[in-house]
This record gives sequence, C-alpha cells and structure tokens, in this order.
Amino acid sequence: MRKRVQTCLLLFPGLIIFGLFTIYPIIKLFVMSFFDWKIGLNQTSQFIGFGNYVRVIEDTVFHTAVGNTLMYAVITVPCQIIIGLAFAALINCITKFKVTFRVFYYLPVITSWVIVSLVFKYIFNNEGLLNYLITEILHLTNNNIGWLDRPNTGLLVAQLLGIWKGIGWNVVVFLAALQCVPKQLYEAGDIDGCGNFKKFFYITIPHIKNTILFAVVMLSIGAFNVFTSIQLMTGGKPAHKTEVILTWMYYKAFEARDFGYSAALSFITALLISIITIIQFRVFKND
Amino acid sequence: MTLPTIYMISTSLKPNGALYEYPPRLFPSKATIENYIYVIKEVDFYKNFINSVIVSVSTIAIVALVSSSLAYCISRLNFPGRKFIYVMILSTMIVPGMTLIIPQFELAVFFNMTNKLSGLVPIYVSWVVPFSTFMIKGFIDDVPKEFDEAVFIDGGNILTIYRHIMLPLASPAIATVSIFNFLTVWEEYPWALTVLNDKDVRTLPIAISGFFGQHNFTQWGYVFAMSVISLLPVILIFIFCQKFFVKGLSGGAVKG
Repeated sequence: MRKRVQTCLLLFPGLIIFGLFTIYPIIKLFVMSFFDWKIGLNQTSQFIGFGNYVRVIEDTVFHTAVGNTLMYAVITVPCQIIIGLAFAALINCITKFKVTFRVFYYLPVITSWVIVSLVFKYIFNNEGLLNYLITEILHLTNNNIGWLDRPNTGLLVAQLLGIWKGIGWNVVVFLAALQCVPKQLYEAGDIDGCGNFKKFFYITIPHIKNTILFAVVMLSIGAFNVFTSIQLMTGGKPAHKTEVILTWMYYKAFEARDFGYSAALSFITALLISIITIIQFRVFKND
Repeated sequence: MTLPTIYMISTSLKPNGALYEYPPRLFPSKATIENYIYVIKEVDFYKNFINSVIVSVSTIAIVALVSSSLAYCISRLNFPGRKFIYVMILSTMIVPGMTLIIPQFELAVFFNMTNKLSGLVPIYVSWVVPFSTFMIKGFIDDVPKEFDEAVFIDGGNILTIYRHIMLPLASPAIATVSIFNFLTVWEEYPWALTVLNDKDVRTLPIAISGFFGQHNFTQWGYVFAMSVISLLPVILIFIFCQKFFVKGLSGGAVKG
C-alpha cells in the first residue's frame, strides 16, 4: 500500500504537467477546429462543423505555405546530411586540432534562431555586404538584388540559413556514428585493394545507415517546424509568397484572431508530420 | 562557417555612424564598445537578461526533477498503465510544439499567466519533458537492478532508491538534458512572443527582435551588441560542458 502512495508521489507531478499542458491541448485543438473559436471572457464560440477544414483546404495561401515548407524540407534535409557527412568523414581522418574545429561547426548550432536570422537579414539586406560584393567587387550586376524582397530568393536565404545552422548537428551525429564502425573492416578493405571512395560507399555508408535515417527523421521534423527565420527575415512577404505553414498559422491565430481556422490548420499539420514521421520510423525499424 | 558570426561581432564593434557607411566593411575601421555601453546602460538589457536566467533556471530545475522521477517509475516500477504512459509521452515527441500554441495560449489566459514569466515556464517544461524523460530512462535502464534490491534489503523504499541511487547515478544524463533544455529555453522565441507584451517581462530573444523593429531604421550595432552578450552564457556553457553537449546533440542517434 505504501508502495503505491510512493509511486504516485513520483509519478503525479510529471503526469499532471504533461496532461494539462500537452494532452489536454491536443484534444482541445481538435475541438477548437470545429468552431469559430473566440478566446476571452464573455465570448461565445460557434460550432461550424468542418467549415474550418474546408476553408483550409481551399485556401491558396495555405497551398503556397505547404509548397514552401516542402521546398524547404526537400532542399535543406539532403544538403545538411551530405555536407554534414562529408565534414564528419574529413574530421574523422584528422588527428590534430579536433577541438578547434568543434568551435567552428558548433557556433551556428548554439547561436539562437533569432540572432542568426537577424545576421542573415543584415548580410542579405539591400545595402548589405553581399550585394556590395556582387555589384562593386565582382561586378556581376549593376543593381542591388532584393534578396529578401523576392519570393524565390527570400526562401533561398531561409534555406541557406537552415543548412548553415544545421550542419554542425549533423557533423556531431555522424562523427559519433563513424567512430562506431569497426576498424577491421577498413583494414580488410585495404587488403582487398579498395580506394577511399569505395571504402566510404561500401563500408561506411551501410554501417551508418540507421544514423542517416535517424537524421532524416529529425531534420524533416525540424524542417516542418521552420518559423523564426521566416518570421524575422521576410515575415511572409511579399504578398504571402514566402509564407511557411507555421508562419501562416501564427498569422491567422494571433494577427487575424481566426483561432478556429488556425486550429484546423495546426491539426492538419500535426497529423501530416506525425504520419510522415511514423512512415519514416517504419522504414527505420525494418532495417 | 563562422563568417556570419564574425561579421556579427565586428558589426557590434562599429561606431554608430559607420553602420550605414557605403561600401560596407567586414571589419570596422575603428573598433568601439559604445554599442555595448548603450545597450547595458540605456536599454532594459539587464532586466531581459535576468528574466531569461529566471525562466531558464526554473525550467531546467523542474524538468530535472519531473523527468527523472517519471523515467525512474517507467523504467523500474510496476504499476498499471506503465507502458501506455511511456508510449504516450514518446508519441507526443512527434507533435511539433508550435501547433499546440493556440490551446496553450487559452490555458495561459485561463490561468491568468499572460504577460508574466510564470506563463513561460509550464509550457517550456511540457515541451521538453518528453525528450528529457526518454534520455534519462535510457540511462536508468542500464543501472543494475541489484542496487535497488540492496536498498530494499536494507529497509529502504522507492523514495530512498530514487533519492540515493537514481538521482546520483543518473546525474550525467540529467546534466546532459539540462544543458540541452537550457539552450532550448534560452533561445525560445514564438511562445514568448505570444505571451509576453510588457517591456519588464521580456526575455532576451524578444528584446533583441523587438529592438530591431522599434526604430524605422534598425540600429544594427545595438542589435548585435545585445546578441553577442546573450550568446556569452551559451558559449561559456559550451566550453565547460563539451562532453555533455555532444551527448545531448547526438542523443538517440547511435544505437545498435
């Protein structure tokens, strides 16, 4: 009996916080998505059935946002993995200055999204350093390029930022995996007369396959979560063309105060990400 | 890789007049710390800094206790629904934190926590509890069961095991998740943006980004001076806790 009381004592603080601030909001989000929801005292919310979902599906800005988010994932995830893996393989060969290198690739990882977004905004500004390099030093063009004012380049800058910031994490993860590959395999490869490239593709890659899949899952989740960089660099401008799912959701909820719509959008997003993740995990497990 | 960071530091050292100079320079012609002095003296910077410290420290302390006790229960104790609870905690790791922001905002309104630092902590705790529990549980699973049995024989109970065996033994795992949680909370932006309004309660990310929109033409020198200072604790922790840091980053990555 006392045992049960003690178990509860340890279990309940966590369960209460978890239930109140995670489980309850998940259920509440689902409920809200069927209402024209109002937040605040003396406000009544009206039940409108699938109305919000219909609006989300018909919303052209949402389509752009989904497209942009997918583009962001499709570009940033493979780039981060390839560059991260290349760096990790290089660093793994180096015996000296390993710690010095760490500072280089960690710095973007530990710098906050707010700060790096502002730095990139400053560099890609109309009168920024990059435009100066292009026009005055390299003479590629005479006019400053409005990197952040155009939909395509605005998104490109965000992708570049995402890749740059994420490489360090990939290097860490892949370095850890590379150190687990048995040395004997490489020696066997040497005996068989394999070159470095052959060894990399036939020994290293198959051995760290699980880690690569893990990285794909984590990076995809991260890519769908892109928010701060877009919000601070372009704010979805021009004309919602650089909007991603979360910036559009945030705008609809806290600028337009259209909570029900935003809840439906959130729910669809959460469901989509969960499905994608579960599929990826299935692939992960089968190997 | 570090070029943007170097550029940020060098811009923070430029005198105000040189910020909009054309051509822009990578390095200031004359370095000055006037931006830093302005930020520390004129802006409520120290308030923002202290707010961030309060929020981060209370969050990581609560998470350390809550996650380690949850992890211990799930790993070692037999009670009905144990597996169900663990699966539920794990599966919420997939749900992107921001998608729950609307119902969480309503909760904050309901509990009258908007515009207060106390409005940040519970949400942050709930965001990082799943991953922290997962990491600490993985660690506790490897602690030999004989330790528990020895304590039971000596007349100890579950709480003694938690307090005297699990907490000390799992401290490396707790340290790892704490450092990681600190980073998450220290830089959190969207939720703080949603809940905080008054100048007095702003955390650093909100102060930095808010400062940037305040004037028609952005005082980049001030923005980056603030950024550099807010980055210092992170860099210090990184330098002193490299070992835990790597574990936190690669947590769950290499198994089998």
